[in-house]
Amino acid sequence: MFFRNLTLFRFPASISFDDLETKLAGAALKPVGPLEISSRGFVPPLGRVDGDEGALHHRIGDSLWLTLGGEDRLLPSSVINDLLQKKIDDYEAKNERRPGGKMRRQMKDDLVQELLPRAFVRPVRTDALVDMKHRVIAIDTSSRKVAEAVVSQLREALGSFPALPVNAEVAPRAVLTGWIAGEPLPDALALGDECELRDPADTGAIVKVQRMELAGDEIETHLEAGRQVARLALSLDDHASFVLGEDLVVRKFKLLDGAVDQLESTERDDLRAELDARFALMAGEFQRLFEVLEPALHLSAVD
Amino acid sequence: MLKLFTRKPAGHVRDSIALDLGNGRTVDVARVRHPRARSLKLSVDERGIRLTLPVRASQAAADRFLLAHREWLRARLEELALAHVEPLRPFVTARLPLRGDWLPVEWSRATSNRVHLADGVLHMQVRGAVDGMHASPALRRALQDFYMAEARADIARWLPDYLPDLPRAPTRITLKRMVSQWGSLSPAGVVALDLALVLAHPSAFRYVLVHELCHILHPDHSRAFWDAVDTRFPDWRDERAWFARDGRSLKATLHALLD
Repeated sequence: MFFRNLTLFRFPASISFDDLETKLAGAALKPVGPLEISSRGFVPPLGRVDGDEGALHHRIGDSLWLTLGGEDRLLPSSVINDLLQKKIDDYEAKNERRPGGKMRRQMKDDLVQELLPRAFVRPVRTDALVDMKHRVIAIDTSSRKVAEAVVSQLREALGSFPALPVNAEVAPRAVLTGWIAGEPLPDALALGDECELRDPADTGAIVKVQRMELAGDEIETHLEAGRQVARLALSLDDHASFVLGEDLVVRKFKLLDGAVDQLESTERDDLRAELDARFALMAGEFQRLFEVLEPALHLSAVD
Repeated sequence: MLKLFTRKPAGHVRDSIALDLGNGRTVDVARVRHPRARSLKLSVDERGIRLTLPVRASQAAADRFLLAHREWLRARLEELALAHVEPLRPFVTARLPLRGDWLPVEWSRATSNRVHLADGVLHMQVRGAVDGMHASPALRRALQDFYMAEARADIARWLPDYLPDLPRAPTRITLKRMVSQWGSLSPAGVVALDLALVLAHPSAFRYVLVHELCHILHPDHSRAFWDAVDTRFPDWRDERAWFARDGRSLKATLHALLD
């Protein structure tokens, strides 16, 4: 269990996480009903323990681990449309006229009702890390829609959760471009080997570079042509590598040997203890990353 | 049967005609036939002069209308010329607008195009060749990014005052270039604000933010909505009047600098 993407939201200090377990229990995942398309709710982050339901949150120091689970029924529209067409053809053959709009809608509704209980159920899960020290929640997704869904579920569970997407008071694009153009990086950060450069015009050229030395003539040429950095690979000491976007989403977040070594030195048989250790490591590295990014990008607090 | 003989109204039909203003000056007037237009309308803004016609208005009526309003057009063009803002020119532009003020600009060369504010002075760093007449798209984009960052900083400063009294926080707040609106709230809870607001005096910007946040409480312009605005921002009438008077020129200024 390591997060791969981090979409960040900040919340005010007034939010209390007391009595969290009871509040989350009220919003726990219910299995998707036979006629429902999908369901969402919180599930135990560490999974079930010996057939017993585990806790719906896991806390280490200032960090909380929550997991939003869900079940989606898979009912492709092409399947519905194909069967609907067959039904319409049958009707036409029998009655020698095409069914009207209202009747076609009714036929489609009937089909959906008939197919839904038979559709596959696909489980989904999204993990979230709440850092109560820095008052930030990191959601393991690069999709804004999924991240907003997690925040809104948490809002429903807690009653109030005024979280806002993390906000930079400088232009992230200018900061990233500065770093690649030779301005000093914050301590602990180093350039990686991947970047995306974009023309200033919205429909302009996009240059994506992977596995290449970023300090060199090739990149200089693009910068000279006025292109700016939209995504940049960075590493945090030898502990984590990631790609930071101008949308402030951290992608491809990966803990490196420098950090993971600490894990492998201890032998563990128990899966829960293993997950617990991994989360502790992740949460620690995330806090360090946030402490570097917050001043560099002037991330605003929400109170 | 009648259908056969009536012409189907065309959609937008656009052409351009030259109009002699009578003072030796000739201007281009964009002539647009609009399916929903009910009367002839002449309008002037930073995008040019536009004559809107109903689909079936006659050519002669349009010409008569233009001639009758030549004086008015001349006066409006003079007003616009007074408010005209020079486009951004590297190492030439001496002042740039921000938060209701025109700040001095200091130009320098650097490894990347970048704008930053220090002690009331805008430092514009330019990379690459400079011709002194036109700003490169990269430089204009850098200025736009700077305005966005300043706007985000303002919003971040004001938002905590209003969040506790709202049933929910906005999903996110975006800044974009809007043609006629100043802000909007989508059903998904996304607040969109016009980037030009960062050029206005801060209380005007703050009023638009409060206005959109109050739409979270009341998604309309009912009495209850204005009461909600009034408790949070008692001087809203002054700001609204200011927008009606000077709002257009604010949008025109941003348009001149960034496009």
